[in-house]
Amino acid sequence: MLDLLGRVGRWTFDQLAAALRVSVLMVDTATWLVVAPVRGRGFRWRSAVESLVEFGLRSMPIVGMICFLVGVIIALQASYTLDQWGANRYIADLVAVSALRELASLMTAVIIAGRCGSAITAEIGTMKVNEEIDALEVMGVNPIKYLVAPKFLAMVIAVPCVTALAMLIMIAGGWASAVLVVGVETQIYLDQTVNAIVVKDLVNGMVKSFFFGVVICWVGAYRGFQVEGGAEGVGRRTTSSVVTSIFLIIVVDLVFTVLFYFM
Amino acid sequence: MATAVNEPEIVVEDLVVAFGDTVVLDGVSFTVNRGEVFVILGGSGSGKTTLLRNLVGLMRPRSGRILIQGEDFTAMSEEERIGFRRKMGMCFQSSALLGSISLADNVALPLREHTRLEESTIDIMTRIKLELVGLGGFEDYLPSELSGGMRKRAGIARAMAMDPELIFYDEPSAGLDPIVAAGIDELIRTMQSTFNLTSVVVTHEMESVKLIADTVCVLHRGKVVGIGTLAELELSNHPYIQQFFARRPDDPSTVDEAWARALTGTD
Repeated sequence: MLDLLGRVGRWTFDQLAAALRVSVLMVDTATWLVVAPVRGRGFRWRSAVESLVEFGLRSMPIVGMICFLVGVIIALQASYTLDQWGANRYIADLVAVSALRELASLMTAVIIAGRCGSAITAEIGTMKVNEEIDALEVMGVNPIKYLVAPKFLAMVIAVPCVTALAMLIMIAGGWASAVLVVGVETQIYLDQTVNAIVVKDLVNGMVKSFFFGVVICWVGAYRGFQVEGGAEGVGRRTTSSVVTSIFLIIVVDLVFTVLFYFM
Repeated sequence: MATAVNEPEIVVEDLVVAFGDTVVLDGVSFTVNRGEVFVILGGSGSGKTTLLRNLVGLMRPRSGRILIQGEDFTAMSEEERIGFRRKMGMCFQSSALLGSISLADNVALPLREHTRLEESTIDIMTRIKLELVGLGGFEDYLPSELSGGMRKRAGIARAMAMDPELIFYDEPSAGLDPIVAAGIDELIRTMQSTFNLTSVVVTHEMESVKLIADTVCVLHRGKVVGIGTLAELELSNHPYIQQFFARRPDDPSTVDEAWARALTGTD
């Protein structure tokens, strides 16, 4: 019994310590992103642009491909039920609303977590193993400023941008299967889509995708700084970076879905 | 060899460092004089790297003080330390050059961070530093394109970027062949004599100690067991120092009981 109590206590302390470290990381990132550049302490714009290209532009082919296929799938699955009522034209509504409110942002975030969140962890982790993080500190270069702040800015821009594109592509995927396979007329599909979409749906998806970007970057960086030991440590933290990211993305998704449901 | 004046540059007083219950450094005290090459000698696990990390402020001790140029380095806030570190350069065991940028950018990094020099000035200074360590013409190479010895040299160039007054080397000749290692030793000596740098070198290589050391401090299990010139230490009758200098393996009968238990698995 006492052993159990001890374990619960230790676990709680560990979690609190972890929460504290995450908070420090958050505050530091915000400081180096907002306060420091204003005070003339510099921001690595070039690095931010490079990260933006990597996280955004280079993610687009795979995100586009997957989202197109998901659009095709939802349309066909929707037709399975809607066909019984002769309501195939409503495929358009279903695809548009699910793409905007949920699936485009979720798919994008999951893919970018796997592609770029893991890369952030591996990069920072490898630098830690090679003493490069220590070297930065000895040189008086803050590792958060040098590594995390530019990536953070790039990530919170890249994820919403890619999400916006993913929304369009997913609707295009739905159109392709509805028109070519199910046999809905293009004009009807487009009219239904335009009627179904409201600004609120778009806002819902975009707001979520911003916070997904925040989650991906912080989890990636946090796991990277946690790396101990050698190559094995990098591998383990990279795996847990992706798992934690995806889990937290779902949690954030749930929170915002509930929030928007009551709004 | 002795260009050192008897003016204390670094004073370590009763330093205690521990990870949890494991005491790594136990009451370490010594003085490094200005302009000398001070070697911290010890076997694996003696705590010498931990000591170095405390000296450059990557770790904070549990108790004790480190005075650098008369100022209490251990009591400084993080902000003050960052300013103070500009006087210090450090060469890491793995060189720790940033892998994603060129040699020139690596050396220029502290200059870009701490000074408002023109890019053309930084360019010239970078070339001078690389020339200094014999890497002129390698400005645009990535660290991964260089050999281990060249990376070590580049690490020294980067440590020298801000014209420090103190320089710290972590195992400078580890993992290098004897000829390259001797080159690094010579470079350490040249840097010291040219710029009157106070140099602290952590190593376990007796060969380089013979070449570079003004003062040697022998660390064993977190304690200083001997301090003085190499000649003085060679006369020491401390069993560990004698064993280390004679390069004798541990006598199985004197191996720690705890260690034996760990080996046999009887806990």
